[in-house]
Amino acid sequence: MAEKKIILSAKDIEVKFRVRDNYLNAIRGVSLDLYDGETFAIVGESGSGKSVFTKTFTGMLESNGQVTNGSVMYNGKDLTKLTTDKDWEGIRGAKIATIFQDPMTSLNPIRTIGSQITEVIVKHQKVSGEEAKKQAIDIMNRVGIIDAAKRFDEYPFQYSGGMRQRIVIAIALSCHPEILICDEPTTALDVTIQAQIIDLIKELQKEFKFTTVYITHDLGVVANVADRVGVMYGGQIVEIGNVEEIFYEPAHPYTWALLSSLPQLGVKGQDLSYIAGTPPSLYNVIKGDAFAPRNKYALKIDFEQEPPFFKITDTHYAKTWLLDPRAPKIEKPEAIRNLHEKIAAMTSKGGAYYVEQ
Amino acid sequence: MEKGYYFKRIIRSVISILLVITIVFVLVYSLVPRDRIFNSDDTLVKLGGKPDERLQYQMRTWQRLGYIDYENMSNYCASLYDAGSDAINACNVAGAKEEKDFVEKYEGQGYTIQYLPISHSPIASKDRPIALRVVEWFRSLIYFDTPGYVDKELFPDLERKIYFGKTPTGGLAIKCSGCEHKYLLYTDLSFPFIHQHILSLNLGQSYPTFDSLQVLNVISDSQGQENRTETVFEDGHTETSAYKLTACKWKNTLDKLDRNKFQDNYADCAIIKKDPSMMGISFIMGVIALILAYGLGLPIGLLMSKSKGGIADKLGMVYIIFIISVPSLAYIYFFKYLGSTFFHLPTAFPTYGVSDVRSWILPCISLALPSIASLMLWTRRYMVDQMNSDYVKFAKAKGLNQTEIYKKHIFRNAIIPIAQGIPSSLAGCITGAIITESVYSVGGMGKMLPDAINSYNNAMIIALAFLYTTISIIGVFLGDVIITWIDPRISLANKEEGR
Repeated sequence: MAEKKIILSAKDIEVKFRVRDNYLNAIRGVSLDLYDGETFAIVGESGSGKSVFTKTFTGMLESNGQVTNGSVMYNGKDLTKLTTDKDWEGIRGAKIATIFQDPMTSLNPIRTIGSQITEVIVKHQKVSGEEAKKQAIDIMNRVGIIDAAKRFDEYPFQYSGGMRQRIVIAIALSCHPEILICDEPTTALDVTIQAQIIDLIKELQKEFKFTTVYITHDLGVVANVADRVGVMYGGQIVEIGNVEEIFYEPAHPYTWALLSSLPQLGVKGQDLSYIAGTPPSLYNVIKGDAFAPRNKYALKIDFEQEPPFFKITDTHYAKTWLLDPRAPKIEKPEAIRNLHEKIAAMTSKGGAYYVEQ
Repeated sequence: MEKGYYFKRIIRSVISILLVITIVFVLVYSLVPRDRIFNSDDTLVKLGGKPDERLQYQMRTWQRLGYIDYENMSNYCASLYDAGSDAINACNVAGAKEEKDFVEKYEGQGYTIQYLPISHSPIASKDRPIALRVVEWFRSLIYFDTPGYVDKELFPDLERKIYFGKTPTGGLAIKCSGCEHKYLLYTDLSFPFIHQHILSLNLGQSYPTFDSLQVLNVISDSQGQENRTETVFEDGHTETSAYKLTACKWKNTLDKLDRNKFQDNYADCAIIKKDPSMMGISFIMGVIALILAYGLGLPIGLLMSKSKGGIADKLGMVYIIFIISVPSLAYIYFFKYLGSTFFHLPTAFPTYGVSDVRSWILPCISLALPSIASLMLWTRRYMVDQMNSDYVKFAKAKGLNQTEIYKKHIFRNAIIPIAQGIPSSLAGCITGAIITESVYSVGGMGKMLPDAINSYNNAMIIALAFLYTTISIIGVFLGDVIITWIDPRISLANKEEGR
């Protein structure tokens, strides 16, 4: 991994939102290097800052939000310094594309599918309408729209949810971006379609060779597609590592809790495991480890001092005092031991997350 | 399928109109005491000392307005004997032997018999059922002019035909001999260039105000002073006259003056007056106000949404809240004061009259003020709604710039609900604006309905109810048609078509 080229590098990102007279610290110092061609998954519960963090890559923060610290280096440019539409021209939508959660609302209901694809192609590739239409139909075929030429002039309401998400993907990929951010791309779709869409993105990734960032809380999807995983909590990445490391050697208590909560790991007849308590309020200054109040393995120091990243392997880091040599040795919870076998069972043929390769 | 929808919709509209008219009929003709119609009738006051004539006048008026069927001795005698004979004279004297037959005949037919207070001569009357009156009203609503109009007994030799010809001003015309109107269809240089008299609306006769005029003429004929111009008559002679020669109707008896002017019996001509009709004035005023409202409200609302939370937005909001919270009469007078003090604009419409631009400025502005505010508010609201929609975020993620997003993704979507209201507002213009028109003494439609109600002009009430209902139904329908053009999701055909 280490010899791979870094395509995007975020350093110490802090994002604040102004809400009435208060500041909400949505992202509290996140650093991340994205490698060319990899699939990186960001997991975490709602409000942990997954979406907000990736929005800094495309300048899509809501108007009351701002990056107060850090930099996002891409192609020699600091993306956090870009402000106007003109600055973003050639990057947003062209090099870094995003697809959103809900395909039902991501397309303008009163414009044809075709016009919504061609407008991006014309915009970024500066080609004629004729040429753009040809490319659009081509990409529609690629994402699996049957009879693309005929359906070019149809409206979104004539498409099903899965078809619309294919169109959204087609639009995102129409200009061959280097990075594709998938913000919970399958959450709004039903289960049978979910697998198809995940599969489609994987396939297209092989073909177009772009880097994918998945934002999801579906660990099944993560296990299936990701090369690396970042676990976010309270506006920070608390653990980062290769997908195997996160699933089989998790080190952060939050990752443990998250994995234990997988409904698929539940034992019939027992209550499903969940993480007690609520995420911290990001309006307040958080002292120590943000997860400490909900953490049954919390040490005294967790409430006083923020833990640094402890290196476990070259690729695996976790932000917990438990990894400090002085910390007591703690056994992982029972539910996530032997996760390898459990996950393998789920993602192999016949399992719930099996995807035809 | 589309045709089927339109057909059903038209049927539904007709039924709605029918229902509204029936309800108004019932309200007006059964719940309002029928004596009230004489409240402002001078003739009845003059007949105060003559109870017999007074009662008969009331009966005749009710008969004319369709309240009752009415019979008296003089009609009865005329049906029995020849005019001028001794027998008829004897019959007409009070206490004649025919009175007994009269009473028997009409009592048998369900009439109520009354005796005149002084002569004790019998009269018979019977209420006409409301349902029958509604049916008759609709049956006589649309009237076709045919060559059979002129009385065949009085004019047996009249040639009855429809033929091509020219108007006195040289326009093409389809003319008629024997119809009520001489010119059935003709062209001239005034809007809408082609005019017709083949089909006319009969909305009833006005009473007691605008007595014995057709209701439609009251609201749609030009008003004010006669517009006398050099007019070339059909026989070639020229005269200063206000006659509208293309709108002449048949007259059974001509006087000497008529014979000098006309070669035939089409001598009952409409008079051209200088000012537009009530409907015309209200419509012109309404349309100007509407143009002002859309011309200002839409762009300002747009600007407000773009600078949401900024100075322009806040100033706009101040205006909107001012218009919403201050009673309309108050700000109308406020602007009237501003206009007259600082710009020396007339505060009454008739001061300079219709033809002077200054007369129109203040009424049009006062009419536009609330529409501007509501358009600003709704435009802003729809725009902001669209700005927060997912597809606008996606459009931004696609890399479109702000201008492109506004142009391609926000504006058209936001405009849909606004466009739907345009036909209704346009059609609504002819109903006039009561407050503005009374503040500026404009001779428009606004005052017609309240005036008609106050003066118990029942025919007028029904006619206006019919017009307003029809117009608003057409307005809403056109609005629906318009959104099918701009919104592909909506089709007026059937629902199954969408996938």
